[in-house]
Amino acid sequence: MASEQISFCLNGQVVVLPPTTSAASSLLDWLRGPAGLRGTKEGCAEGDCGACTVALEEPDGARVPINACLTLLGQMHGRAIRTVEGLRDAAGGPHPVARILAEHDGTQCGFCTPGIVMSAWAAVTGDGDPHEALAGNLCRCTGYRPIVAAMAAMPREVATPAPVPASTAACFHAPGQAFHLPRGLHALLSLRAAHPDAWLLAGGTDLGLRVSEHRERPPEVICLLAVPELQALHIDAHGIRIGAAVPYHRLLAALRGLDDPIAAPFARLLARLGSAQIRGLGTLGGNLGTASPIGDMLPPLVALGAEVTIASLCATRRMAVEAFLTGYRTNALAPDEVVTEVIIPRAGPGDVVAMEKLSRRHDQDITAVGLSAWLRVVEGRIRAARVALGGVGPRVLRATAAEHVLMGAPWSLETVRAAARMLDRDIAPLDDLRGSGAWRRAAAAGLLERVWWRATRPDVEPMEAL
Amino acid sequence: MSENTLAQAPVHLRQGSSIGQPLTRRDGVLKVTGGAVYAADNHPPGLLHAVLAVSTIARGRVAALDLAAARAHPGVVEVMTPGHKPALAQDPDEKAGPFAFRLDLLQDDRVRYANQSIAVVIAETIEAATEGAALLAPRYEVEPARMDLHDAESFFPAVVGAGTPAAEHHGDVDAGMAAAAVRVEATYDTSAQYHNAMEPHAIVAVWDGDKLRLDTPSQGMAMAQARIAGLFGIPPENIHIRSPFLGGGFGSKGMISGPQVLGIMAAKLVGRPVKLVLRREQMYGPVGHRAPTRQTLRLGADAGGALTAIGHHTKTASSSFDDFFEPASGASHSLYASPAIATSHEGVRLDTGTPLFMRAPGEATGSIALESAIDEMADACGMDPLTFRLKNYAEVEPISGKPFSSKALRQCYEQGAARFGWASRPLAPRMMRDAAGMLVGWGMGTATFPALMFQAKARATLRRDGTGLMEIGAHDMGQGAWTALAQIAADGLGLDIDQVEFRSGTSDLPDGGIAGGSAHTATAGMAVHGAGADVIARLAELATGDERSPLFGAGNAGVVARGGRLSRRDDEARGESYADILDRAGLAGIEGSGGSAANPVAQSAYAMHAHGAVFAEVKVDPDLGQIRVTRLVGAFAAGTIINPRMVRSQYYGGMIWGLSFALLEKAVTDRRSGRIMNADLGEYHVPVNADVPSVEAILVEERDAHVNALGIKGVGEIGITGTAGAIANAVWHATGRRVRQFPITLDRLID
Repeated sequence: MASEQISFCLNGQVVVLPPTTSAASSLLDWLRGPAGLRGTKEGCAEGDCGACTVALEEPDGARVPINACLTLLGQMHGRAIRTVEGLRDAAGGPHPVARILAEHDGTQCGFCTPGIVMSAWAAVTGDGDPHEALAGNLCRCTGYRPIVAAMAAMPREVATPAPVPASTAACFHAPGQAFHLPRGLHALLSLRAAHPDAWLLAGGTDLGLRVSEHRERPPEVICLLAVPELQALHIDAHGIRIGAAVPYHRLLAALRGLDDPIAAPFARLLARLGSAQIRGLGTLGGNLGTASPIGDMLPPLVALGAEVTIASLCATRRMAVEAFLTGYRTNALAPDEVVTEVIIPRAGPGDVVAMEKLSRRHDQDITAVGLSAWLRVVEGRIRAARVALGGVGPRVLRATAAEHVLMGAPWSLETVRAAARMLDRDIAPLDDLRGSGAWRRAAAAGLLERVWWRATRPDVEPMEAL
Repeated sequence: MSENTLAQAPVHLRQGSSIGQPLTRRDGVLKVTGGAVYAADNHPPGLLHAVLAVSTIARGRVAALDLAAARAHPGVVEVMTPGHKPALAQDPDEKAGPFAFRLDLLQDDRVRYANQSIAVVIAETIEAATEGAALLAPRYEVEPARMDLHDAESFFPAVVGAGTPAAEHHGDVDAGMAAAAVRVEATYDTSAQYHNAMEPHAIVAVWDGDKLRLDTPSQGMAMAQARIAGLFGIPPENIHIRSPFLGGGFGSKGMISGPQVLGIMAAKLVGRPVKLVLRREQMYGPVGHRAPTRQTLRLGADAGGALTAIGHHTKTASSSFDDFFEPASGASHSLYASPAIATSHEGVRLDTGTPLFMRAPGEATGSIALESAIDEMADACGMDPLTFRLKNYAEVEPISGKPFSSKALRQCYEQGAARFGWASRPLAPRMMRDAAGMLVGWGMGTATFPALMFQAKARATLRRDGTGLMEIGAHDMGQGAWTALAQIAADGLGLDIDQVEFRSGTSDLPDGGIAGGSAHTATAGMAVHGAGADVIARLAELATGDERSPLFGAGNAGVVARGGRLSRRDDEARGESYADILDRAGLAGIEGSGGSAANPVAQSAYAMHAHGAVFAEVKVDPDLGQIRVTRLVGAFAAGTIINPRMVRSQYYGGMIWGLSFALLEKAVTDRRSGRIMNADLGEYHVPVNADVPSVEAILVEERDAHVNALGIKGVGEIGITGTAGAIANAVWHATGRRVRQFPITLDRLID
C-alpha cells in the first residue's frame, strides 16, 4: 500500500504533512513542535485539564472541542482544526470570544486560558449551558465564575465550515509504523483479520493516553473514522442504531431532539460523561471495547437491553450488551472481530427510564456508582424491570434480586424501597479511592429510590444539576 | 535625598490616580490570544529534550540502571546519572541559607521518596528521551517506606514554617480549661495536598560559557539566581532568568526545584540548550506539597460564652532529609481573644518529598481546625456562631497583646452576614431542607492572614518625551502584578498609566523580591512607589534649582507631580511638564531608585493582619451523601485596594481553594510502596466549574497607616482561610454530623 500524506485544514489553511510524519503522534506535540503553535498548552497530557483544547470545524457547521493531547495526527486527516492562534476578528484583533473573556477577568495565570477560549468559541454557535461547555477545562486560579459570566456575555455566532482537503488516503506509513484509514467495512474487517494486534482507534480517549502520557509508538493502528458504516446514526420506531465510531457529541445532539422516555435521562447522563472534549472524540464502541466496570455508558446499555452487532470477514452476529461484557475489562470479541453498531430498543410511552451517576466531582470524574433502570409500567403495575449497576462489582451487572421485587409489583415508592433493600444481595462493592463499599451499598439504594422521584416529581431537580 | 511630598500624601485619594481603579488585566489580551509565552514555549535553536527517570519506590537505593539500552536508543544523546554528571560547586544537601532546601540532583544512588529523580535522559526528541528513560528499567534495593503520620516516631521541632517558633503561649491554658464551664476537645485530620498549578514546572536552559540563560517559572528570581549561582559556582549576575508569566505557582515555584536544576545540569552536560518539563505525575514529590496534619484543639469557655483557653497542637510531617513543618497552630495566635493561648507543633519524618509553602501555609490548615472547633464551642454554648465570634472578638492580638495596625473584621462580619442572610439561620442543625428534600446548612468561618513585607528594589526613569519607565524584576503568577504594580508606578511617577512603560519578569531588572506570603504587591509596590518618588524628587530638584523654571525656588516640599507635570503645591497653575524640564536641562532622561522593607518600628508596635468573614451554604443529599456548596459569601478587609477587579479575582480563587480543601483535595499514598496513587488531575481532584457555587466577595473598606506607606495588605491567600471551615461548619449544620477528617467525603455522611 502506498504511503500517503496527512492533510488537514489548520486555522483556515490546508496543510500537508511530510510523508514520514508519524500519524500516531499526538496532535498537541505536532502543534507545539513542528507547527510552532505554542499557544495551545500541555497541562496533564491525559485529557483531564483541557489546557490543550482545540476545536474541530465540522462540515455541518458544528464546532467540536477536543483534547489535542489525546488526538492522533492521523485522526485529523481530511478534517479542519482551529487553535487559539486562529481566532481573530475581521480586523485581525482578538476574536470577540477572547476579548470578552479578558474583559470579564476570565484569566489569572492564563495557562488554562487558550483551552478555555477554544471551549467558549465552540460553545457560541449554540445556546447550550456554559457549565456544560466548561466541564473539561480546569482552572486553578479564577474560581470559574468570571469565565461563566464572560461566556454569558459572548454573542452567538454562526459557524462557517472550513475548507477540508478531499482525500481517499487509506494508509500513512512512518518508519516502523502503519496507520490505516480504511474507507469501508470490508476494508476494515480485512485489516482486522490481518492485524489482530493492531490498535483499533475510534476516538482515542483511551488509546491516545498511551501515546500522550506513556509515549508509546504503536506499530499498527487501524483508525475507524473513515468507515461510513461505523459513522451511521439512525433512529426509527424500532430502535436507535449507533455506529460504533459515532462520537458521543453526535449521539447527545440526536438524543436531545428525540421524543422518547429514553432521551432525557440518556442525554443527562451523557452530558456528564467526561467533558465536551471527551465527547468530541469518545465513542460507544470504545466504551464497550474497554469494558470497564465503571464505564459510564454500560449500565444504561444493559438496562435498556441494548445489543451490539459484531462483524468479521466470516460472519456477522448480534448479541446483548449484557452478554458481551464478560468480566473485568473483558468482552466477547474475537481477535478478528469488530463492534460495528449498538442498537438500543425504543422505550414505550409509559416506560420509566432513569440513568444515574454518582461521582465525587461533578464533571470530569468517573463513576463511583452508576445505576440505570428501565421499567414497563402498565396500569399501575410493573410488568418488566431491568436494573443495571456499575462500580459495584468487577463488571457492570444486573440487579436480579431487586428486579424480582419490582416485577409484577405495584408501581409505588414502597415497591421501589423494597427493591432498593434487595440490592444488597445483588452487589459486592469494594472500598477504593472513590468511596467505601458500605457507602456504595447505601448510595446504590439511594439511586434506585431516585428512579421513583425522577418519574413522579420531574419538577424537582436532584442536586447534581446545579 | 529629601523625602518627596508624594510619599506623605495618601496616593489613592489623589484625583486622577491609577491606584484603586478597576483596570482589566493588562496582560489579559496576550493570554486570551495565546500570545503569552510561558517557559516551555521557548524553543531555542539546537534544543534537546530532557526527561526525568523517577523512582517508583519511596526508600532504598537504585541498584542498577540499564544505561546501555537507554544510550543505544535512537535519538538519545546522553544519560545523566550519579556517576555521569557535571560537577557541582556545592553539595545539594548543604543548607546554604534558610530557604535553601535540600535538592535531589543525582548526588548518589539513595532514594528518599517516590518520584525522586534517579537519572535524566537527554535526546533529540521528547519521544526518544521518554523511551530512553523507560529503557533504564531501574532495579532497586528496597527499604520499608515510612508513610504514616501516626506510626512514625515524633519529636518537637524548634521552628516551623518559615522559621517561627514551634511553641508559643500566653497565660495558663490548663488553668483556663479547669476554670471553664464548657469545654471542647477535638482532633482534626487534614490530608496531604499538592499545589498542582496548571503549568507544570519547566525549564529551558542555555549555557554560554559561564553565563546561563533560563526560561523558567519563578516566584523569586533573585533567590533562584543565588541558589543556582552557589550550585554551579558562577556569579548570580551571570544567570539571566526570564519568567514573564507563571502558569500558577501557589508556593511550588518559590524556590528553584531539583528538576529545574537538573535541566541546567543536563544542558551543561551536553553543551546544548535543553528543555525539561515535568509530567503531571512527576509533580507529586520533588516540587513540594502541603503536609498532612493531625490537630488537637482544646477550647474552654465560661458560662457566658467567653473563651477561657485555646490550646492548639499540630502533629505534622517533614521529609526524612529536610525540615519544613506546616505551621498550622499559628492560626490560633491572632483570631480570638482568650486569657490563655498555647500553640505547639510536633513533627515526624516520612519518606516523601519535602513539604513546602502551599497557598496559605499554616493558616489554611490551622484555620479549618480552629474554625471547626470554634463552631463546636458555639454549639456547646448554645450560641449562634457569629454571636460567639463577636463575643470573643480580639481587640488586640491575643498572643502578643499588641494593638492591630488596623482591623475591620467587625465590618466584615456585618457586611458578609447581611449579604448572606445569616440572621435567619436556625440554631440547631438539620433544620433546613430545600424543595428536593436536600438537607441545607449554613456555616461561617473567620479568615485571617498576616500582612507581611519583604525586600525589593525598583528603578524609575522619566524620559524627555514625557513618558516614564518603571523596572522591577517582579513576578506575575496570575495575581495581576503586571497590572497592579503598573498602577502604583503610574501614581508614583505622576503619569497616566498609558504613559508608563512597565518592565518586569526578568532577573536583570532590580530585585522585585518574592511573590509569596501575599506580600508581593505591598513589597514590590512600595519599591515601585519609592522609585517613583525618588525620580520625581530628582526632577523637582532640577526644576526648583533652575531660575528659568516656573518652579524655581518652590522648594522640594512645595511641588506636586501629576499628569506629567510638576506644579507648585500652593499654586498648581504654576508648573511645567516633565518633558520641558528635561529638555531645558539637556537630559535624555532622569533616573531614580527605590527600595522597600518592613518597618521594624511599626512591626514591633503593631500586629498586622488582613481579616475576613466567609459564609457558606451547602446542600447534602440525605440518601447519597452528596455534598454541594451552593453559596459562598466572603467579606474581606485588607487595607488599600490597588485594583478591585484583581483583588476580587484573588478572593474568588482563594475561596475556591477553601472549598477544595474542605471537600476534594487529598493525595492518597500506597502504604506499601510509598507511591501516591492519585498522582494526576483525574484522580487528585481540584474543583471543576460545576463544583463551584455562586461566589461573592465583598471588599470591606480599611485604611492602615502602619503596614506601609500605601496601606497595602495581602489578598492572595486569605480567601482559603475561613472558607474551608465555613463549609465544614455548614455540613454539620445541614446534617448534624461533625466530620473532623478533611476532605469531607460522601462516605462520611452515610453509614
